[in-house]
Amino acid sequence: MATLVRAHQAGVWRYLRFLGCDPAEADDLVQETFLTVLREPFELRSPTQTAAYLRMVARNRLLMARRKQRRVPTAIDLEAAEAVWARVAGEDGLNHYLVALNDCLEAAVSPRVRRALELQYRDRASRAEIAAALDMAVEGVKTLLRRARSALRDCVERKVGK
Amino acid sequence: MSQSSDPKRDELHDRLVDQALREVLGGETPPDLSDKILAAAEKQEFVSSQRKEHVMGKSGGGYRFWSVGAVAACLLVGLGIVVFSFQGRQLALERNQEVALESRQRTAVPQTAAEPANHPSRPPQPSPSNRAAGPKGQGRDKAAKWAWENLDGGTQGVLGQPFVTMRQEFSGDLDIPFSPPPNANSEAEVLQQLTARQQEEYSARDEKGRGPGRGGDKYDRLFENPFRPVEDYPLSTFSIDVDTASYANVRRFLLEEGRLPPPDAVRIEELINYFDYDYAGPEDDVPFAAHIEAAGCPWKAGHRLVRIGLKGKQIEQDQRPPRNLVFLLDVSGSMNSPDKLPLLKKGMKLLAGQLGENDRVAIVVYASAEGLALPSTSGAEREKIIAALDELQAGGSTAGGAGIELAYRIAQENFIEGGVNRVLLCTDGDFNVGTTSTGDLQRMVEQRAASGVFLSVLGFGRGNLNDAMMETISNKGNGNYAYIDGITEARKVLVEQMGGTLVTIAKDVKIQVEFNPAQVAAYRLIGYENRILAAEDFNDDKKDAGEIGAGHTVTALYEVVPFGEKIDVPSVDPLKYQAPARPRDDAVASKEMLTLKVRYKEPDGDTSRLLEFPLVEGGDAFGKSSRDFQFASAVAAFGMLLRGSEHRGTATYDAVLEIASAAKGPDVHGYRSELLEMVRRAQSLSRR
Repeated sequence: MATLVRAHQAGVWRYLRFLGCDPAEADDLVQETFLTVLREPFELRSPTQTAAYLRMVARNRLLMARRKQRRVPTAIDLEAAEAVWARVAGEDGLNHYLVALNDCLEAAVSPRVRRALELQYRDRASRAEIAAALDMAVEGVKTLLRRARSALRDCVERKVGK
Repeated sequence: MSQSSDPKRDELHDRLVDQALREVLGGETPPDLSDKILAAAEKQEFVSSQRKEHVMGKSGGGYRFWSVGAVAACLLVGLGIVVFSFQGRQLALERNQEVALESRQRTAVPQTAAEPANHPSRPPQPSPSNRAAGPKGQGRDKAAKWAWENLDGGTQGVLGQPFVTMRQEFSGDLDIPFSPPPNANSEAEVLQQLTARQQEEYSARDEKGRGPGRGGDKYDRLFENPFRPVEDYPLSTFSIDVDTASYANVRRFLLEEGRLPPPDAVRIEELINYFDYDYAGPEDDVPFAAHIEAAGCPWKAGHRLVRIGLKGKQIEQDQRPPRNLVFLLDVSGSMNSPDKLPLLKKGMKLLAGQLGENDRVAIVVYASAEGLALPSTSGAEREKIIAALDELQAGGSTAGGAGIELAYRIAQENFIEGGVNRVLLCTDGDFNVGTTSTGDLQRMVEQRAASGVFLSVLGFGRGNLNDAMMETISNKGNGNYAYIDGITEARKVLVEQMGGTLVTIAKDVKIQVEFNPAQVAAYRLIGYENRILAAEDFNDDKKDAGEIGAGHTVTALYEVVPFGEKIDVPSVDPLKYQAPARPRDDAVASKEMLTLKVRYKEPDGDTSRLLEFPLVEGGDAFGKSSRDFQFASAVAAFGMLLRGSEHRGTATYDAVLEIASAAKGPDVHGYRSELLEMVRRAQSLSRR
């Protein structure tokens, strides 16, 4: 039981974030998901099946929570999101993906782009601030970041073999 | 390559990159909620048992359950700080303490290696990955426990921010004795070897099913009936069984999964009763006819085989009583596989096509909270029924107890006098919230059966099938238990047998056979192991027994050792104070081998009626017996081979094939041909 929780809780949290939960909501739903699963005698399956089962429970918990809040079920298409996640993020809760992304940041990204990404994601700089720091037009920043993400996506997916 | 043309998918991929960058660069790491979850899970059982009465009978109780659960968990964690800080205690409790202390006081905890509890704090902060793998919780470990971190070796994040914190700890929790494999050089290798071993352990367990309280399919241990010397046991008493679940389950093992079934999944009487036999129906106003036949035993020279066949009277389509059916569907997360809920929905749509305007159907679902998916609806409103079916989705966990109460209540509210009133429970496993114990469920189901609402159980899927419990509660609920392994079986059970399974024509049907000691030395009832009754139960109308439906056939086989043949049963010392019973003189003179007595009650009656049928043995050879007799004996031999029975004598798969294919007959539905396929498969599997 402890092994199951420790091995998968981070992945489920990431998955819920991916489905559009804010961090606090993801915290709650991760707990609900595991408590739901642990209430039944848990069947030990292959890691892939276990991860998929947990994701399914998490999705259902999310839907139930949204129903309770009387909110629109979710902004994104859950089925399509699950398909994308299952394909590239897989059984280890994004770990491989993150490792690959890290490598790609080292290898496939120019220092300038790297700087832009750091400003955006680490320093939470606005586009205008990034533009100022890199001495470029605000419009250019948007394109630069979009291309960077696209290149990273290609690189990562190549690395994780999808 | 990975750029697809689908904009929606592209957007999702972008979203994933965005999220990953937030984690890698922005340090938005997932919090470690493990301890919180484990602590809450530990309290969960306690809380759910405390709240049992409150949860039951309320829809939407699930959400309240969570809030109360969370509050209780918090209180208990707090309590843990006070109580357990003085004791070096179990791992999980110790963790609670650390987490609670850290999150409240934000001070260092001196007694254990630092463990970052960064969970509820926002904004998120990067978590230092070095969790100490200190030796904690030794008292609980059954096996070597060890830990490591950063499984992937170099998973340090950029800018010195680690983003992967992974730690696995194998302890007694898993109940698999773990120790580090000796030849592992790196952690990755260790992981690989352990995973392989784990998989082996799991698949080995699946082979046999598991005991109560564990995941996996559950089967009760069956002990085969031994030979009984007639001198000591002149009476053989049992309840009839019209279940067929075991056959469908065995078929799935053999034909779909390509492996031999666990012996305890094979109930020979259910294999035999899966097939229809061409017995004549009753002529007068009794609900069923009995047919007895005897011939040589094909697997043991010198022994005789006696077949008892009951045939329930047919009810014509237009005379069928109206039906009030309440489907109780398990829509827990585990039902979300093609062989479970979707199959059930297909089957129920077939059934919906058969219902008339006087029939009523309701659907109750149970998962985290029970609910009414379809109020009792006339069979004429087919679209409404189908629409309700289409909306069903699997999700959540199982709270069967509350669901079953609701289902019975609806059945009771829409009760049709003189009609079929039945709850059909469809599930892949357990009930575990609310009316938890099998005992409680049995009592409840028994009570409801007395009020005229019967219960049928349809089992689905693999993995968590609680075969033992499902059979037990269907027996108590005057019902039957079928295992649905595919759409063909769904059609057979829900459509073809609607006349039989659902229209009970006699209940509490018990069989008692008295053997004539002048003709029979010993006997053995084949199958029915969990249906055996005490001799005195036969005349006790309070003792529950099996039901027989319209048009149903029930078959039982006895292997009989004729008088004068050697019997291989352990002897008992002669009695010191009593003379052994002697056969009556007229018994010696009688040519009767046995007398079959059948007791039954009318579906709504409380007192039983008795029918008696003597059998005079003609001494026929096996080859002279009827086709159905031969086929049933081949099925019995097949069952014994699958069970590895000590009584299988000279039976072989080849012999089974030979007898069964010769006795197959017209086989309109192809069921008998399918048996032949199963025998062939079992034969090739057993050779491996």
